Order: sequence, then C-alpha cells, then structure tokens
Amino acid sequence: MNLKQSLIIGITLCILGTIGWEIYWRSKGYYPDLDNNEALFAVQRNRVKRALDSDIIIVGSSRIHFDIQLDVWKQETGIKPIQLAYPGATPLPVFHDLVNHTDFVGTIIVGVTPGLFFSSTSTEKRAYRSANDKVEYFHNRTYAQRLNHLLSIPLQESLAFISDADGVDAIKLQFLLEGIQFGNRIEGNDFPPFPNFADISLDRNLRMTEKTARDTSFARLIKNVWSFKSTPETPPREMSKDSVMELFVKDAKIFQERGGKLVLLRCPSTGYYRKKEENFYCRDEFWDELVKQSGAKGYHFEDYKQLKDLDCPEWSHLSGEDADFFTAEIAKIMMNDNTIPIKLKTN
Amino acid sequence: MLFNSLSFIVFLVIVLLLYYSKFLNWTNKKRMLLLASYVFYGLWNPPLVILLWISTLVDWTAGKKLAIEDNQRKRKMWLLLSMVVNLGFLAFFKYGNFLLENFTALVNTMGIEFEALPMDIILPMGISFYTFQTMSYTIDMYKGKIEPARTFLDFALYVTFFPQLVAGPIVRAKDLITQFYEEKRATANQFFWGVFLLTIGLFQKVVMADTLLSSTSDYVFGSDKLLHGVDAWIGTLAFSGQIFFDFAGYSTCAIGIALMLGIILPDNFRYPYASLGFSDLWSRWHISLSSWLKDYLYIPLGGNRHGITRMYVALMLTMLLGGLWHGAAWTFMVWGGLHGTYLILEKLQKQYLPFKITKWNGIFLAFITFSCVNITWVFFRAREFDTAWNMIKSMFYMQTNGEKILGSFEILKVSLVVGILFICHWLMRNTSMKAVSLKTNPIILGVFWAFMLFLIIISQGSGEQFIYFQF
Repeated sequence: MNLKQSLIIGITLCILGTIGWEIYWRSKGYYPDLDNNEALFAVQRNRVKRALDSDIIIVGSSRIHFDIQLDVWKQETGIKPIQLAYPGATPLPVFHDLVNHTDFVGTIIVGVTPGLFFSSTSTEKRAYRSANDKVEYFHNRTYAQRLNHLLSIPLQESLAFISDADGVDAIKLQFLLEGIQFGNRIEGNDFPPFPNFADISLDRNLRMTEKTARDTSFARLIKNVWSFKSTPETPPREMSKDSVMELFVKDAKIFQERGGKLVLLRCPSTGYYRKKEENFYCRDEFWDELVKQSGAKGYHFEDYKQLKDLDCPEWSHLSGEDADFFTAEIAKIMMNDNTIPIKLKTN
Repeated sequence: MLFNSLSFIVFLVIVLLLYYSKFLNWTNKKRMLLLASYVFYGLWNPPLVILLWISTLVDWTAGKKLAIEDNQRKRKMWLLLSMVVNLGFLAFFKYGNFLLENFTALVNTMGIEFEALPMDIILPMGISFYTFQTMSYTIDMYKGKIEPARTFLDFALYVTFFPQLVAGPIVRAKDLITQFYEEKRATANQFFWGVFLLTIGLFQKVVMADTLLSSTSDYVFGSDKLLHGVDAWIGTLAFSGQIFFDFAGYSTCAIGIALMLGIILPDNFRYPYASLGFSDLWSRWHISLSSWLKDYLYIPLGGNRHGITRMYVALMLTMLLGGLWHGAAWTFMVWGGLHGTYLILEKLQKQYLPFKITKWNGIFLAFITFSCVNITWVFFRAREFDTAWNMIKSMFYMQTNGEKILGSFEILKVSLVVGILFICHWLMRNTSMKAVSLKTNPIILGVFWAFMLFLIIISQGSGEQFIYFQF
C-alpha cells in the first residue's frame, strides 16, 4: 500500500474536479455571492451592542431590505444604518428582541409590509418563525459557529459553487438531488421556479439584480411566485391584526419610554401587491391605526409625490437605481422633519 | 467544534504544526494538546469546561487516594465520591428535566396539583461520554486493575483528548493514558492512513448521512400523517443508514485524527449491519459503550454467575439503562428494552433451538437481524410514542389508507444507499478496511479518495451536528 501516492492522486484529482465544478457553474451564469443567512444576520445584530444613541437600526421584511440602500443613506445622513430586515419575515420578533434584550436608545426604522407585518405572532407561522429563528440563532450561536462564518466569507466571495440556495438556484448536492423527480407516486410540486433576484453584501445591504430590473421575462418568474394560486381578491392565508397590534404597540411604548425613537416606513408596491393591500389592508384601518397606536412617526410612500409612482419590476421591490433614489429622498424627508439623526460631514 | 466545519480544519492544522514542531518537548506537546482540547470544547460553550475540570480533579484525586489507601471503607468512600459527582452531573444536566416532568406527571395522577417551573438546563455536549470514561478510571483503580496515571497532565489529557472527547470511542485508561507516557509521532504511513480515515469519516457524515439520508428520515419522522407502509419503511431505513454513517463517521474521524498524532484509539464499529444475531451486533456496534456496559454494569449486576433468571434480569437492566444513557426519554428505554428482549430470545434460541450458521443461511440471518434492528430504530428516532406506534403500524400494514409522502426518486435513493450499505457490511464482516486497502492498487485507492473528497466539497456540509452529540 503506497498511501502517499494515493494521497497525491486523491488531492490532485479532487482539485481538478473542484475546478471543473466551479467552471461548470460559472458557465451557467452563477457568480460568487454571499448567503443571506442567520450567521450574516447575527453579525449585524451583534453590532447593536456597541450602537450609539445616534445610530439607526432597520427592521422589517424584504421591501425595506431592498429599498433602503445603506451607502446612499450614509451619503445623505452621515450614518450607516444596521440592517436587520429579513425577507419573508415579520419584523416583530427582531423588534421585540431589540426592545427587550438591549438598551438601545437610538432610532429604529420599522418597514411595514402589510401582508407580513400583520400575519401572525405565533412561532407556528412561517413569517414569524423565520425571524424568530434568526433572533434565537444570534442568542445561542457558539464561538465555533462565529468562527465558521468568518472563515466561510472568503470562500463565499471567491467561489460560485459555495451557496446555500435551494430551488432552481440550487448548487449544493443535497438540494440538487432533491430536485430530481420521476414517476407520479405523489402529487408533483407545482410551485413555480423562484430564482434569486438580489445580491447581498457583508453589511447586509440587499440590492435587486440588474437582470430583474431590465429583463421583464425574468421579473415575470418572480411575479408568478407572488401570485401563485392567488389573485388580488384572494384573502391572505395568515392575517392577525389585533394580536400584532397589541404586541407591537406594547414594545413600541417600552422603547419610546426609555428614550428610543421609532419610525414606521411603508415602502412602495405596485400591481398585484398594491391591489391586494388595498383590498385587505386598507390604509385607515391598518397603517393609520398602527401609526396612531404606536405613537411612532409614520412615512407612507403614497404621501410623497416623488415616491408614489415608483415602479417595482416584480410588484414588491424597487430596482437598485430606484432604491438609491427612494433612499436619498426618504432620508431627506426624515432629516427635514428632524426624525432621524444626522452626522455633519466634515469634508 | 465539529469535525465537519471550517474552523476545525484550521484548528487541526495549527495543532499538527505545533505537535510536529521541534521547539516543544513532549511534556509541552501534551500541555498544548490539553489546551487545544479545552479550546475545542470551549468554542461550543466556554463555561461548561468547568464541568470537565471538576470531573478531572475529582477522579484524579480519587484515583490517587485509591492507589495508596488500604482501608476498604475509605476506598469505598473515594469510589462513591467519584460516582456521586459524575453521575450527579449526568443526572442533573441530562436527566433533570426528564425527572421533573415524570415527577410532575406522577403527582398529578395522584390528584395533587403541581406545576414545576421549567429548568432550561443546557445539556453539556458529550457529557455521557466523558463521565463514563473518567468513571472507568476510578472503578478500575478501585478494583486494582490499573496503575494510577503518572502525572496530572496525563490524566487530564486522558479525560479531555479532543478527538474522542464529545462522542467517543469511550477509551479505557489502560489503553490511552499509557500512550501519553512516551513521546508519540505518527509514522508517515500512520499519518496518511489517519488522513484517509478522516476522509472516510467525513464522507460518511457529510455525504452519506447528511446529504443522502437525513432529509428523508427527518421528513418521514416529522410527518404528522398516518403513513403508507412503504414510506414508513423507507423513512426507518433512511434513519438506520443515517445514524450508522453519522456515528461511525464520527468514530472514524476520531480514530484518524488521533492516528495523525501517533495515538491509537480502538475500533468502535465493525460492520454491524451484517451481524448474525444480537450478541454479534453488540460486539460490532458502538463497541466501546457495549464493552463498558458489560464490564461496569452487566457483570457487577451478576452477569451469568447466578443462574439463568438472574442473568436475564441483568441483561435486561443493562440494556434498559443503556437505552436511557442515549437520552432522557421513555422511547429510549423501549429501544433498550427491545434490544434486551432480542438478546434474551437469542439466548433461548441458542439453548433450545440451536442451529449451525453456514454461508447459505448466514446472509438470511444477517438480514433478519438487520430488519429487527430497524424496528428498534423507530423508537430511538421518534420523539413521541404516538409517532413510533403509528410508524410501526404502517410498517406492518396494520393500517389501510396510509398516505404516500415520498417520491419515487427518494425511495430509490434510500433503497440503493441502504441496500449497498447492507451488502458492503456483509462482504466486509470478516475483514477490515485496512486489509482491503492493502490489497488495492494505490492508483485506484487514490481515485476513490479523490471521489470522496470531491463529494465532501460539493456537498458543502454546513456544519450539521453529529446525532450522538446529544447523548
């Protein structure tokens, strides 16, 4: 047995195979990117420990995550916010955590996406559980997990095949295998393909890809997901106004009483979502009521002529370019109102 | 820290560089290994290293006293101290919630209204493994079977040696402490073989257990539906394969890493799914635990020295407690009880219906054993009795209209993986991986090695925890 020879052959072939695998995925249009996962969230959540009174934290769902561009915000105000919004999730668990497990007294901007914000207060429901899991991960993460995340960043940034994506973007072997289906033993999954349509950076700034903004047939794929087996007239599957209002208002009062500043932000939506929101989350009963009960300062895109006609390529999020515009405008509006802190530019 | 993580790769490289550096003498190398072991453990939850220190200090002191003390009463007291501390930790951290829940249920059935406050106890990783390991030292010292460890450093390293700290193999003092007395260096072949074993172990864990089998097993056992028989069997087979690859994978990694340091750890698995009966199974599955239970529980309970009935009682008690060792739940007791029953039935068969095992009936017997083992895994995996019972009913087609939840590909995938696993165990049952490797052309072995490494990389194991860490 010549193990040294075997090891050399093993390592050489493995390196060649891995290079081939990387080239294959790049030839299919994949590129190195970061996973928007709980570890990335936890790094930003950890920053809250050192946050000053002048700092800003953003919580919410994907809309505020896409629509507020952190660098543009910093350019306008001199302060780069801590981004804690999470796609497909309600902000309630993250807000609850910030209020009850930190002594932060700066500004919290809460993005209100009606369908997710007013979905549930139970960990049995996906939108709540998803955010709650991230909070729990942050509190329970081990030093080994922190180190693993740190070490994985250069790999994620250099190799296209390092990806946690599932569905049509799956590269991980387990998800590739899960995509194989034959026979008709069980009813097939007719959920439409849901490709990734945004890129995230280390500071969790999320930006819609150019392809989504420019290619209408690609944006159509995302629209198919949003409107799967549903029309603007179909009632939401999860809706819970009273319990959400009760939980949020309670936390809002605690936060404001200790000196924190609370801001609510309603980002643009169009098409299917706009109609659905008008049908089931009418402004006076939901948004206006939320602003009134929480005592927060509220900003609704419909109230500003430069914002109300912005177009969302897939009905729910702004393109990168429009997000830059939206961020700059909303920051200016908030600064004019003295709602958010600013740091004077020294140069 | 998990073997299947990026941080462990960095950790291992640093440890190996320091271990083979020329500027550390053997004592300092051992100190470095001890410190590395605490870091390895502490990166999970630093305060719980204190438990390791307490366990180490108590058993070191008890061992030292037992080595010089002649007074039987005092010797017993030192042994008792070790037992109380180690089993006390285990009882509090592992069984605290379980005991409280059952106490509450008991008093409630007696009509007394009592609601206990949840204790939220963290289960220290690997506590069952290292407490059993340190207890074996003190018990062996009490029985006069071994010499005391020469230095505190040797003993502390025995308790904490990182490759096998959190999930075994549970190594006896005589097999490990003595290896620390003289400087160890792996030969080139030992080192490369260690790397090969580490690769095999990671392949078993990352590719076979986590990538190919865990999702099916989790899906079936997580379902709240009454399942079709095929789905119940496939889910059980998937878990059967998963737990073997997961646990054997950890042991193989541990043995490989220790070998890279020139330290030899005993085998923990010898192709158990090709066992011919249950005595054979327990000499092949988690060997270090079954031999521990035999030496420190079954024999002290009387073993086969006091007649057949007492032997059966000892056997059943050993298996029930062995079940409970795995987890604080009644389902684990049932798992142990089933194994105890199998062992008793096998002994009865050997007494009243003996037959010769040939190459013709052997594979059939192995298949029957494997099938019976699968039934026990249902209780091991299910968190609730209802789930387990529903699975058993589905597996034996005792319920009609069971729902089909698995696709054809998943059924094919699990059947192929577990079928090949069973055949491989059958073909390998009288040989070893080392023997097969020796006969294999180095180029073919290299290609096989590359294949495993490549699959590990593209599986991108994102640090799934080993199942046995919870025990």
